[in-house]
Amino acid sequence: MNQAEVTKLVSQLRIKVNSRLRKFRNPKGPEERLNKLRKTVTALIKHERIELNYPRADEARMYAERLISDAIRYGDCHKTTMEMADYWLVEKQLIHKLFKVLAPRYENYTVAYTRMLPAPRSYPGYLKAVLELKGNPYPSLLPDTHTNRNLIHNVLLDEAKKAYRMQKYKEIANKVEDRVRAEAQAAGAQSSQPVDVKSNTENAEVSESSQKELNKEVEVKDK
Amino acid sequence: MFSTVPKPCIRSISNRVKGLTSLYNARSCTSHAGKRADNMKKNMTRYRFIYPEFLPDPKIDFRNPVREMLERNDMIARRHQIDIPEFYVGSILAVEASDPHTPGKVQRFVGICIQRKNCGLRANFILRNIIDHQGVEILYDLYDPCIQKIEVLRLEKRLDDELLYLRDALPEYCTFDPNMEPEILPEDGDVPVNPIKVKLKPRPWLERWERKNLKGLQDLGLNERFYERARAVATPWEKYDLMKEYMRTIPEEEQNEILGEVQSKLQKLDVTKKRQKRKRVFVKPTKLA
Repeated sequence: MNQAEVTKLVSQLRIKVNSRLRKFRNPKGPEERLNKLRKTVTALIKHERIELNYPRADEARMYAERLISDAIRYGDCHKTTMEMADYWLVEKQLIHKLFKVLAPRYENYTVAYTRMLPAPRSYPGYLKAVLELKGNPYPSLLPDTHTNRNLIHNVLLDEAKKAYRMQKYKEIANKVEDRVRAEAQAAGAQSSQPVDVKSNTENAEVSESSQKELNKEVEVKDK
Repeated sequence: MFSTVPKPCIRSISNRVKGLTSLYNARSCTSHAGKRADNMKKNMTRYRFIYPEFLPDPKIDFRNPVREMLERNDMIARRHQIDIPEFYVGSILAVEASDPHTPGKVQRFVGICIQRKNCGLRANFILRNIIDHQGVEILYDLYDPCIQKIEVLRLEKRLDDELLYLRDALPEYCTFDPNMEPEILPEDGDVPVNPIKVKLKPRPWLERWERKNLKGLQDLGLNERFYERARAVATPWEKYDLMKEYMRTIPEEEQNEILGEVQSKLQKLDVTKKRQKRKRVFVKPTKLA
């Protein structure tokens, strides 16, 4: 049981934090552990997507998240944050990327900045993972389920759209009917003349324009 | 929000950040709600240091939100019974506690707080003094029901977070008069830091103080080989271990949640105390003889 340190404040990480840190195999001592992770974090910041062994990816992910969250929280004028960036990014041009590209990119994020996905194993028992920064320029690794019409939410959305359309058509049909009836009544009252062709064409035009409106409405709803 | 260390590393961003900060300040100054939020924030920063035991243990294995909440409630309940003042390592305290070996009596001990440890109901502190040429240390649990009164005689901080080296220091550095009068500080000021440098007795010591990077020690006067060894076993890379740092602390969001709750409860406690004080009427002593 210890008291929490309160001299330096940190933001909460949006990923699951392991209860203890992995040691890895370090013939050169505990300093080497950080050196290993340093290389991975640098590569992640540089390439934005890397494939590597699972334990290293899981460990490096926490460090990368911490580095980015500190960069967002304290900015580049904070001495300790700058020192951290200087230590963790072996290639020094990446310090600029961290503060100028990644910090603005993730400023308004409410979720984790990185994504880790399982990758195919090279050998049974050896897990692999893909670690990537969110918002990277590469094509997505996850299948695009957005356009799959058979997914339940898409099916439901389609049905809802159809129902909405039907309702609108019915409304328009009612409107047209009402108008025709009203005109017929007016004509009967005037001189009991038969309805001329012109008014019929007008009616058709009106229905066409209302059809367009309806389409627009539906589009807006879709959006 | 952002500290302004005068070392602009990337100028454009720093300027933008500065602009944002000034904008934020301006906005917060104009609106009343903003002012209150600012006040709250300032309070929170103070609370972090005044009530460190309200924050839970940062070790993930020991976390249990329900237990923590219950413990906090118990701590507040205890604070309704006695007044636990603000104090730090290096402050001089007088504690009155009842003792199972002397029933019906109260023992008063005056000493310097050399360590504060643990959190929740287990929070404790060590007082040290030299009495009759004999170093005496008592470890008190902060929320122990045996404690009847805690009085701060001198409120100050020292250069280090722990003063365990006073055990190896010359006796004049931890000898305090048991009949000391409490010193009064100005109401709204920072807690003063005592920059005193302590002189240690010659070796042997209880710990290898030269390896601990202590600020409050005078020159130790050791052989060069001791410092060499200290340099060899030092772990300067540990300060770069971001996750270890994260695991030693509680994230700010969580701290604010906990301290906000504690703050509201303690303010209520203050109000009730004030009301009770007002209620207490002067009773004229009756003549007995």
